[in-house]
Amino acid sequence: MKEIKFLKILDRFGGLLEKLDIDYPVMRRILQTKLLMDGRRAPTIVGKSGRNQRDRHAKDGDPDRNQFFGSLWLYLIFGGFTCLFVLNGDNYIFQMSFVFGILMFMIMTSLISDFSSVLLDVRDRSILQTKPVNRRTIAMAKALHIFYYLFFLTGALAVIPLGVGLFRHGWGFFLIFAVELVLMDLLIIALTAMLYLLVLRLLDGERLKDLINYVQIGLTIGIALGYQLLIRVFDFIDLQAVIQFKWWYFLIPPIWFGAPYEMLLQGDYRTEIAVASGLALLVPVIAGVTYLLMMPSMEKNLQKLAGPGASQREGAGRWVNRLARVLCPEGQERAFFHFAWRMMAREREFKLKVYPNLGFSLIFPPILLFTMGMQDGWASLRGTQLHLFIYGCALLMPSLVWMLRYSSNYKASWIYRTAPVSSSVPIQRGTLTAAVVRLLLPVYAFEAVGFMVLFGAEIIPDLLAAGLGLLAYAVICFAVVDNKSTYPFSERFEAAQTGLSLKMIGLMLMLAVFGLLHYIAAQFSFGVLIYIALLLAANWFLWLRGFGNPKLTG
Amino acid sequence: MTYRFDGEGSEPVIRIRDLRMRFGERYVLNGIDFDAYPGQIIGYIGPNGAGKSTTVKIMLGLVEGYSGEVRVCGANPVDGDTEYKRRIGYVPETADIYDTLTAREYLTFIGELYGLSMETAESKARRMMEQLGLKDAANARLSTFSKGMKQKVLIISSLLHNPDILFLDEPLSGLDANSVMVVKELLALLAAQGKTIFYSSHIMEVVEKISHRIILLDGGRIAADGSFEELKGQNLQGSLEQIFNQITGFNEHHEIAERFVSIVQEV
Repeated sequence: MKEIKFLKILDRFGGLLEKLDIDYPVMRRILQTKLLMDGRRAPTIVGKSGRNQRDRHAKDGDPDRNQFFGSLWLYLIFGGFTCLFVLNGDNYIFQMSFVFGILMFMIMTSLISDFSSVLLDVRDRSILQTKPVNRRTIAMAKALHIFYYLFFLTGALAVIPLGVGLFRHGWGFFLIFAVELVLMDLLIIALTAMLYLLVLRLLDGERLKDLINYVQIGLTIGIALGYQLLIRVFDFIDLQAVIQFKWWYFLIPPIWFGAPYEMLLQGDYRTEIAVASGLALLVPVIAGVTYLLMMPSMEKNLQKLAGPGASQREGAGRWVNRLARVLCPEGQERAFFHFAWRMMAREREFKLKVYPNLGFSLIFPPILLFTMGMQDGWASLRGTQLHLFIYGCALLMPSLVWMLRYSSNYKASWIYRTAPVSSSVPIQRGTLTAAVVRLLLPVYAFEAVGFMVLFGAEIIPDLLAAGLGLLAYAVICFAVVDNKSTYPFSERFEAAQTGLSLKMIGLMLMLAVFGLLHYIAAQFSFGVLIYIALLLAANWFLWLRGFGNPKLTG
Repeated sequence: MTYRFDGEGSEPVIRIRDLRMRFGERYVLNGIDFDAYPGQIIGYIGPNGAGKSTTVKIMLGLVEGYSGEVRVCGANPVDGDTEYKRRIGYVPETADIYDTLTAREYLTFIGELYGLSMETAESKARRMMEQLGLKDAANARLSTFSKGMKQKVLIISSLLHNPDILFLDEPLSGLDANSVMVVKELLALLAAQGKTIFYSSHIMEVVEKISHRIILLDGGRIAADGSFEELKGQNLQGSLEQIFNQITGFNEHHEIAERFVSIVQEV
């Protein structure tokens, strides 16, 4: 078995951990096994491009390469952005509070969205806890497992600002930064775990999983907005301003982390600064100790995750029934509408993959608008064609449609072959209808209302045209990603390539084509009305004929 | 109601007195009392929701918050000392397993958790897998295993460390007829060596055949406790299945089936 360097380094602290009543050899073995399993989360079936690459790795004698490390460069780049704050000026408390705010946000959200599975692995209960291993040992193995990833994550984010800080501000700055990063990670692990514990105490496991979903959406939106803010923030902050401490500053952890620079490097020994610096040191340490003490109690509450959760309210789906009746008059199609509707609502992995895109679609049109709007003021928006940005809300469509074929219960798709379904058309159309109504329509409606407020009621025909365009676009996406040749929810997620393929980029560009056609139509009188008529015809054709009746290869 | 078996006279390995457990408002266990002795195969049966797996989970220290006395190998599951678990083997009902590992990796890992050295765990696991016909699959990932193969891995993982007590929850599920015979024989031999086997199942024929003693749980209480012959003596005769129906007060199977079929025919 491959030895992991991290474990070798850890061995030096073995004695220390033993003193904490931890069975070090056992803990090390658990950690080793967990890391080995992480390396194998990737696809394993034969046949697709990503897999061939993995097979090659296997030949190189490294079949267990962890996919996590492949995505670190993204964090490296984002961390690079924070250099702007490190580089400019020496109003440290201000700059470093910003840096730590960004770092904390990035790390906490990615911890919740990507590594919750580590904290919340229910299998540990029946596999580990039935063995003669004490809870403290299991808890420590978990904490170190997370720390392992956090170390690389923090490293990737902070290496550039650390280097820049060293060159620009010297060793003192560098050392404070490095120590604070450790404290910050400690605080983040403890806070996240306590947040989970609280949710598990008050609510049930399903709610916690929902919470994780929401955080992922928040992460996507936050990053998108963050870029915008980063670019602008220097316009309206005065770097020379002396910070006036307000009491609520003590509630903002990034400010704690900014304070020690002020105190140690600028010699600012005001009480507030000293208190904030003290908090930066004390709170993470206390939180860390509390975390270790509370971890066994967390394990106990985890059993809720395995439990059946609250049963669904009956009758809540009545309006969905009515909707289905209108949209899918035919029985089988309606059955698949309901089926897809529920699968999209309940399938955890589907939500994990699609919701971040949903967040992005939601935030994309407003961001485009703000970029324009902030230069000339809101009033100048009226009368322009900028409302065409609403097409951007369908950016989620290509990946949404692509994900419709995957399920974590993909094996259950044998029902398609044993049920007497003569044509695939009702399956496909029912599924796509559900996807459009459930995910695209709310985003579109939300944006449309917002746009109407900004641009005035005269854009209603344009919004109508855009809506029709998006409907047609949905079928086109469905046809292009070739869902016609497979059943919905019938392939395993691990085989899914989440990355952007050429097809996906092509489909996204097609949205721009729709926008362009709309723009051209709007140059003529009645142009938009003609465009609407054309789209109606296109929709009629696509929704009726676009699904064809090809042979299925489940 | 006491039951005499050759193990009696020696110390009980499991001792449970007035065990009660409440989830929310509902009492899952309503005062359970029994002792289990070395060498006994105990069929632990009861309707769904009778509290069987809760009892087992309590003895394994997975569930806390009960009242009453529980001693497993003399240890109290909640006092935090996990040493007694070294003497227990467990096959859970839900096949929770780290299925990205290979069978060999998984079993070695489990063996080490029980305190075996890596070499011992690996060699024992390899030889046990050979005996159960898993030799060729030893280096395949568990995610590719059939239900029966996974079940064999779970059975091996419960025996690697030569435990004194075995908790088995539907251990035969998914196994083919030949493997079922092997495992049944295996249990008889292990019991003859003085191991206590706690066997939960819904398949009454098997429980009837292999158990020395049957404990029937109903509504969180022990409704019957004794050998199959004793249970037969106390009630009308028949198979364990019939005794089960009788004690749990269930005699409507015919009516339910008739109503069900009439619904089937409606279309």
